[in-house]
Parts: sequence; C-alpha cells; structure tokens
Amino acid sequence: MPITKVLEAQIDHVSILDEHGNFDESLGKGLIPDEDLIKLYGHMVICRLLDEVAFKLQRSGRMGTYPQNMGQEAPSLGAAYALETTDWMVTCYRENCGLFWRGLPMEKILQHWMGDERGNDIPRELHATPIAVPIGTQMLHATGLAWAAKYRGEKRVACTFFGDGATSEGDFHEAMNFAANLDIPVVFFCQNNQWAISVPGKIQCSAPTVAQRGFAYGMDCLRCDGNDIFAVVHCMNKAIASGRDNKRPTFIEAVTYRLGDHTTADDARRYRDAEEVELWKARDPITRIKAFMKSRKIWDDSKQAELEEHADEAVSAAVKRAEGIEAPNKEDFFNWMYAELPEQLVVQRDTMRTSSIGQDPSQIESPQASQQS
Amino acid sequence: MAGVTQPKDQSHFILPDLGEGVHEAELIKWRVSVGDNIKEHETLAEMETDKALVEVPSPWTGVVAELCGSEGEIINVGNILVKYDIGGASAAEPEASDAGQAEESASEDKDAGTVVGNVSGELEVSSRFARRTDVDLTSTNGNGKALATPAVRRIARELGVNIDRVPASGRGGRVTASDVHGYSEVGTSPAKAPVTSGGAAPAGFAPQAVAIPEDLPPVDDSGVSEVIPFRGVRRKIAQALDVSVKTAVHFTVVDEANVTAIDAKRREYAAVLGHKLSLLPFLMTAVCKGLQMHPELNSIVDDANAQILRKDAVNLGCAVDTEHGLMVPVIHGAHKLSVAQLGNAVTELARGCKDRSVDRQRLQGGTFTISNVGSYGGMFATPIINYPEVGILAAGRAKERVLAEDGRMFVGKVLPLSLSCDHRVVDGAEGARFLNTVVGLMEDPEKLIG
Repeated sequence: MPITKVLEAQIDHVSILDEHGNFDESLGKGLIPDEDLIKLYGHMVICRLLDEVAFKLQRSGRMGTYPQNMGQEAPSLGAAYALETTDWMVTCYRENCGLFWRGLPMEKILQHWMGDERGNDIPRELHATPIAVPIGTQMLHATGLAWAAKYRGEKRVACTFFGDGATSEGDFHEAMNFAANLDIPVVFFCQNNQWAISVPGKIQCSAPTVAQRGFAYGMDCLRCDGNDIFAVVHCMNKAIASGRDNKRPTFIEAVTYRLGDHTTADDARRYRDAEEVELWKARDPITRIKAFMKSRKIWDDSKQAELEEHADEAVSAAVKRAEGIEAPNKEDFFNWMYAELPEQLVVQRDTMRTSSIGQDPSQIESPQASQQS
Repeated sequence: MAGVTQPKDQSHFILPDLGEGVHEAELIKWRVSVGDNIKEHETLAEMETDKALVEVPSPWTGVVAELCGSEGEIINVGNILVKYDIGGASAAEPEASDAGQAEESASEDKDAGTVVGNVSGELEVSSRFARRTDVDLTSTNGNGKALATPAVRRIARELGVNIDRVPASGRGGRVTASDVHGYSEVGTSPAKAPVTSGGAAPAGFAPQAVAIPEDLPPVDDSGVSEVIPFRGVRRKIAQALDVSVKTAVHFTVVDEANVTAIDAKRREYAAVLGHKLSLLPFLMTAVCKGLQMHPELNSIVDDANAQILRKDAVNLGCAVDTEHGLMVPVIHGAHKLSVAQLGNAVTELARGCKDRSVDRQRLQGGTFTISNVGSYGGMFATPIINYPEVGILAAGRAKERVLAEDGRMFVGKVLPLSLSCDHRVVDGAEGARFLNTVVGLMEDPEKLIG
C-alpha cells in the first residue's frame, strides 16, 4: 500500500512596506490612497499620545490599571480601515486605534479604565462590542454575531481581535471550529505581540507560526507584518471578500510587538531583553509610515508640527471630558446582575453603604448575630 | 477610582496605588525641589514598588511647597507625597473617603483643628486586605507542613530551601514564591521576621535593616557634609553582609599563580574570537574544575535546619560593581560552559546589572562566588562570603614580576588569589587544597582547557 500525501500546507507571510522603507509596488500600489494614508497616520499619532498620557494618569492616581497599545497601532487600525462600518469589531483591549477609526470617542476608553463601566457602553451604530479584558472570551461572541448575520441574510462579517496568548484558550478553538464547520464569516485576527504578559510566544506555541492553528479547522490562514499597515489591509481585504462572498472564516496572524509593559501593573524590564525592545522600536509602525509619506512628498515637518499640536489638543480635551463625567453610583456594582439580590450580596451592599469598600462580610458580625448579642 | 481621592484645591498630592493592589512604595529619588514650578505629567519622584521602579508624575501644574518624605523612606499609599503652594492656605491632611466627604473636611481644615474622622493619613483598609504584622507568619496547616502551591514547592526544592521553615505572607497563610526567594537569600523572608515561637530562625537574622546592637556609642555628627540614608541596593548589600559575617566563620588563605602561559592563551583566544577577553573566564573554568574536585566548597549552609547542602551543579556568582552598588549575578550551570561561553555570560550579566534589566532569577541560587577586585587594583583581599555559600575567591591584579625557579630568575605574570571559606564547613587544609588545585590549573593551560 503506497503512502499518499493528504495535506500540503503553506503559510504566506505578507510584507509590503518594510522597516527599511522598501515598498512592494505590485501589492501596495493603489491599496491605500494618499489622503487615507495621511488620516491613518494621524490616528496612530493621536493614539500613541493618548497612550503616553493615560500611562501618566495612572501613575498619578487619576486612572486605574491601563494597558498601553504602544507599538500595536497598525494591526487594529488597518483592520478597521478595511472593514465596513456595519461589520462587527469584536475586540479585546489593544485595539484603541481601530476603535477610534471606527468613531469611538477617546474619552470612552479613558472612562472605562478610570473604573467607570459606562465607558464600555459603546454606541450601537459603531457595531463594536465592549472591550473584553478576560482573555479569549470574545471570539465566541464574534462567531455568534456573524452566524446571526448570516441567518438574517445580511452581508456583514465579524472581525475579532485577540493576542497570541488567547490562542492557548479553549474558547478560541471552539469559536474557530464552529465558524469553519458552519461557514460563518468571521475574521480571526491575532495580534501576535510575542508576549502573553511575561510568557514568550515560543513557550505558548511550539508550532513555527500561530497562523497554522487555523489549518486544523480547515480555514484559510494568512500571516503578515502587523506593523505594516499595507500588509494588514491586504490580508484583511482577502479575508473580508472570502467572508462576504463565500461565508468562509479566515485566520490572520499579524506579527507585531508590545513596546510597553503588559499593563501599568507590570514591569516588562524584569523579563524582556532591552535589545529585543530596541530591535522592535526600529520596526515601529508610525515612524515607518512617516518616512514613507515623506519619501512620497505627501508629508513634511510643518504638517507634522500641525498634527502634533492637534494631537495635544485632542488628547487634553478627551482627558478633560473623561474626568468631567460624574462618578457612577457605587451601588451599580450590585444593580445589574441579579433580578433578586442574593443575601450575601445584600450584606456586601449594606456594608458598603456604611463603611469602606472591600469589607469582607465574613469578617464582620452578621446582622442576626449582632441582634442576638 | 484608584483608591484615593485627591483634594479639589490641588493643595497636596496623595500617593496613589502605583500598580494594582500596591500598598506602599519606596521613595528612591526626588526629581523636584521645593519652589520648583512643575507642569502636569512631569515627574515628581522615582519610586519602587514590589513590582516595578516607576516614575510618579504630577497630576497638575503648580509650585512645589513641601516634599513629604526622604529618599529611602517607605511611603504608604494614601499618605501625602507632595504639598503644593496654593497661595497661603496650608495643605489639608488626606481624607481616604469618598469625594463628598473630602470636600467637606477640606473646608473644616481651614477653619480650625476641628477635623473629624481619619486624619492619620493612613488609608483605611479592611482587615482582609491589611498586612498582618501581629501574628506568627510562619504559617503551617497545623502539622508543621507549609501551605504552598506545587510551583512554589518546586522553586523551594531547586533552591534547596525547606519550605516548612519559610514564613508565609500569602493569602490564607500560603508561602509565596517571593517568600521562598527571600528566605533563600538571607535565611528569612525579606519583608518580615517570624515572631519566633518555635525557634524557627536562629538569632542574628535581622531582615528589616542592619541589625543595630544595643549600647551604641555616641555619634559625632559635627562637620557632616552629607547624610546618606541606607536605602535600595545599598541597604540590601548591608543586610546580606551583616548576616554573612555574623553567621559564617570566616578564614582567608592566599596564594599566587604564575599565569604567563594562560595569559598567552588568553591573547590567542581573543584573536580568534575577535573581541576582548579577560583572565576572568579562565579563572572561572579553573574554579569550576576545582569545585568538582573539592565538592565541600560547592555547598550552601541551611542554618535553619542545621544542615549542609552539597550541590552538584556549579552556580557561579560573579561580583559586579554598579553605580547602585555591588551586585552578584549568578551563572547557573557554569561547569558546563566553555571559556568563551563564560566570557559572554559574564559580559551579558554585568551589563544587565548595570542597567538593572537583569531578572531576579539571575541574582539567586549561587553556590560559590568570584570577586574580580583586581580589575580595580589591589593584590590580596579578605573577601566576605556570599552567605549561605561557603566559599569566595577574590582575584587581584595580574602583574609582571621577577620569579625564580631551579635557581634561575625569569619574568612572568602573577595572579594573586585570596580564598575565604566558612570554617564551620571547610577546614583550613581543605581550603588550601582547593586553592592549590585552582593555582595548578591556572599555571597549566593543558590541564585547564585540554
């Protein structure tokens, strides 16, 4: 009995504008019109500044924990640019730039990380789901949303974003399997930033690419330089067309790098080599586009100065708006989960009314006990 | 929000939670002075939490009126860090309550001293989250066995620590990884000493600071040009050395090695590798070989359990001078590395120490230490053991000297070596034999590298 080959797999890595300024005309020409490129660049610059300011807000006690997006502006932005505004964006927490492109006001993000859940109440017309902080929960929602759209006969696709670490979660595999087997138009967009907090990718995944995880479910897999917005848009266009026309899901691995700490509660210097960070700073998506636009004579220093001034104003205004929102009612913690509040939570709520937050009800006398004594 | 409410009049800045559930931070360095005009987001101070070295920015623009704390001091979250000049009115004490109350009490402050409520500056924390300092932290589940996760148990095994002896700081009395690391460094948790009820830790282990003897002589503080508090790395060095000299019984033996032939070899290697190479990696190789022949010196002392733990692997510490002070990164499994690999490892670790990027694991678990004092000068030394190790070798500066052999004089390069051992573990004769082996290897390239 001869041995026959039953599977031959290939993963293409797409790079159009590399960090040295080399531009592939055959793939990149006409992909992003100049005026759009200028707008995309502006979004990245503002997003980066917001990141820097948000970090300082946390350090001076004006905001809770915050995860910086620094270095990862291009993947979500390129994806949002390629999607229609009626397509679903199902994000985790490093897609600020894409969400701002979609139209999410910056103060919403600040409000959310300042601990006000109303910041996560995303306007309906944006077709974006709330920011998902628990790792890997949102991919299932994307599959469900796209399935519903297909069922209703809509042309919508759903694009869900997650990190390399999330591909080790069970829900990820269920969402992928479901989408592939039922022909559901989902784009599974992995921002492979190399680090799942302090765990490097090579410990998480022994396969040479994350992208090939999609093969196991029979879907098309693409890999690209995530810091190259042209490459991201190229892959997204393919994935969106496949979803819209053939209802097929696609897996995209965008290789990028988290230039900052995991969150403000982390210190990446403890586990990452400074040399690695320097290497990736040289691949920064923002400086790359800026150099490209300058070489095309569509950008100059005066436009840059103007943009920076505008970014300063926009970010300060967003901070002012976010800090000006009246604090939420503390009791909202208890008000939205249960129709009838369980006894234990009643005790917690009442304790909070009379004392500081965080008192453990098991450590205080129960109301009955104090009545008896 | 982030736990503390800043005053609306911007009269003072209360230290917020700098990470996630951080209760305190060490003030490392002020970056402003009184009278400075500071803008929003400009850095006030560098502070170190148990997680990170961070820069604390000013939440608003203003003039600094008072710095509330000195470098090296631990500041609690909820205490005032900086007071601002707001035109006459004095800064109110912080109110760790909700926004409405804060405003109310701020106006009360201005009236007179009739403030009600909590004015101690301490953030009110429920007993569940507060650090417990009033109980025996050597927590066990009743039968003398520590509560700990398998991962922490493995770390303890790898460090040769008896986990049942480690004071616990974790939730529910669990021993955490940092408890184990801390215990393996100085013999007890760095954060807090166990209130000994069963004599778990021997006397003389002062984890909080340098142990202060009673009846200190008076200090002449006239003519002082600068007062430098013990803090940061300096304080950790002081603690570690204090424990070492009070615990290990030091003796030192010295010798010289004629390294003329090895030095020629070194130049040959450097030419092949295409970069500078010092004698240090050759000496490290000699020490690794020597330790395998004299395993008594490749041991650590577990004083808590009155036992000597002999190690197979040579984890070689290498003293590095940094601007923050002395650090001792460890090359794990040094006996498996070639001269060139050891050279690279030393360079890399030294760089990591200097820019403070070296990770904690690389500063722990040593079995023997080399101090290369010769790169700064000097001949012999009486090095202090990196406790709980039992041996340390200091290399002086290699110099050309007139030597004699078989009645003839010749010129050769001589490396002075000083070995300190813990006499409780290593006898004088054994120390001398080990040093003799190292000298022999350093004088014979065939034996050392062949």
